[in-house]
Amino acid sequence: MTQAATPTISPDRLSQAQRAFESALGADKVFFTRLDQQTYQDKFAIDDATHHPGGAIAPTSVEEIQAALKIANQYKVPLWPISRGKNLGYGGSAPHLAGSVVMDLSRMKKIEVDEANGTVIVEPGVSFYDLYDYIQANKLPYWISTPGNSWGSVMGNALDRGLGYTPYGEHTKRICGLEVVLPNSEVVRTGMGAFPGSDAWTLYPYGYGPAWDQMFCQSNFGVVTKMGLWLMPEPESLMGMDVEFDRPEDLKAMIDTIGPLRREGVLQQSPSIGNWLRAAAVMTTRQEWTEEPGALSDAVIDAIRKRFNIGWWGVSLRLYGREEINKAAYKVLEQAINAINPMLIKPTSWVKGQPLEYTGWTGTPMTFPMQNVNWYGGRGGHIGFSPVLPQDGTKALEQFRRAYARYQEYGMDYQGSFAFGERHLLNVNAMIFDKDSPEMMAKIDPFFRTLVADAKANGYGEYRTHLDYMDLVRETYDWNGGSLWNLNRTVKDALDPNGILAPGKSGIWPSATNGGQPA
Amino acid sequence: MRSGALIGAAGALLVAGLFGVAVAQSGAGVDDETTAAAAVQAGPPPMPQPITMAQRPNATGGEALYVEHCIMCHGPNGMGTGLLGRRMDEPLLEARDNLPAQYVVQAARRGIGNMPAIPRGEVSDAQLQAIADYLSAGPHPHALPKPGEVPR
Repeated sequence: MTQAATPTISPDRLSQAQRAFESALGADKVFFTRLDQQTYQDKFAIDDATHHPGGAIAPTSVEEIQAALKIANQYKVPLWPISRGKNLGYGGSAPHLAGSVVMDLSRMKKIEVDEANGTVIVEPGVSFYDLYDYIQANKLPYWISTPGNSWGSVMGNALDRGLGYTPYGEHTKRICGLEVVLPNSEVVRTGMGAFPGSDAWTLYPYGYGPAWDQMFCQSNFGVVTKMGLWLMPEPESLMGMDVEFDRPEDLKAMIDTIGPLRREGVLQQSPSIGNWLRAAAVMTTRQEWTEEPGALSDAVIDAIRKRFNIGWWGVSLRLYGREEINKAAYKVLEQAINAINPMLIKPTSWVKGQPLEYTGWTGTPMTFPMQNVNWYGGRGGHIGFSPVLPQDGTKALEQFRRAYARYQEYGMDYQGSFAFGERHLLNVNAMIFDKDSPEMMAKIDPFFRTLVADAKANGYGEYRTHLDYMDLVRETYDWNGGSLWNLNRTVKDALDPNGILAPGKSGIWPSATNGGQPA
Repeated sequence: MRSGALIGAAGALLVAGLFGVAVAQSGAGVDDETTAAAAVQAGPPPMPQPITMAQRPNATGGEALYVEHCIMCHGPNGMGTGLLGRRMDEPLLEARDNLPAQYVVQAARRGIGNMPAIPRGEVSDAQLQAIADYLSAGPHPHALPKPGEVPR
């Protein structure tokens, strides 16, 4: 939010670089008109004057990426790689540093499946729909895991540690092997990819010596051009339940019941507890419920719950695998959930051959959840603050109550969720906003910063954030004087001495840019 | 006109039914933390399977590009269809008989309402023109759900 709209990269250098890009890639892969610059801006920006790109290029091969990096180094023009740029809520296709040239990899769409072993190698431009289509067209016995906006890139989502809802829902954990172009244009393959002729690149993630896959997640150390990922074998059976709970304080028992089942492995997917606004914001607009300003009142919340027959909180739990095992596990699940007084349980059951539910629980790609941006009736957007919590019901309830009080204080409608990992919770606090309301847009930034400060005071840090807050969140990870960032900058400077690759990503600023301080 | 009426009925079904109970309470509002998933089995039609080239293997030219680049939002259960359904009787673009090609190009390239602008790196000018020409030649009845059929 502190960036000036004026690019910090000189127009002369930028136009020299543009000509060099045109010469190396061809003019049909270089986009520098005013309209091009606008199309690569952040569609959900809180401040539309920030993060404007200088232009964009769309290389379609590793060789063209290498050529682009050489030009960027020569003219000292930063490149901001995007896979497909659909990371809406986190900045989308826009660069952190205004004036950077977006390197749009959405035209690189190769898919290679190892059917026997259930793995795939994707290029950056492969969307969840593309991969789903490939599996459908080839009738492969595998399911993918999809996020709520499946328009985006499979690779980009895993690199940014995005989430889905199947047992493979922690996407970053299913990465196995990368091909990366380093800022000096050298191409590296990680793990077994470094071993010529190995057919285990997507099977064994470590290779020999240090393993680097996570080094290229949420970082600016290289341009990932191929990613190995594991696919989930299509289960014989899918069983489970959608459960509703009546009171806000039921959150504690939900977490203290589901957490142990997840750790034990009875539940292997990533359940996500959410509140009543999700249904209302996707299916209706706010004016259907109330004209009152400020956060929704309890009376309106009751009306929403009544109409959709939902609780204050709800959660969907699913079991995947052999039918006999699922039936046994379902009994355990049912007993555990019944013990904490659910308001409503809706069981679901599927076996291979029956019609499938086309939802996130079966790895079906979807876009309709984004209808929530129309909640206020006009042009909308959203941003989320998502701290990492332990699976502890008491602590989660306290965190919820603090956040909910802040939503009421700032007059924002609460949309919260608590998503289980194997050992942690991600507490997503989503803020839907109305871009046509200057009053509302003016309070998003102070509201967000308040949530960051509240969480910091209680020991909770965010897992992923929007461009505007990458530096702010970085500052909260300040153990031992911020030594982690000294390490990150040391690595950055070693790999990218000119600081041309995505300066500022995750708060990692190269020394060449502003002495390593936020620009 | 006949196909228009048929298509209109399908559109109303989409808006009234598909999202009626489709959203369970798991997930949140930020992209992939959202799920909204879980078509609860009790209600009216469950969500249809997404349309990809696997369902339209014979599509070519502008139609194939539309399936590849647009239909995830503008198909039967897409975000664009859901939001357009709040404002017009016919939310499916392939059912429209009133979409000038130039309008499609402008809307896609500049964005419109809650639709983000589509950059040239993702869809080239030539590709966008082919998509626009396909839509402007609509309606395309072969691409639409039959009465009584779960739209797909």
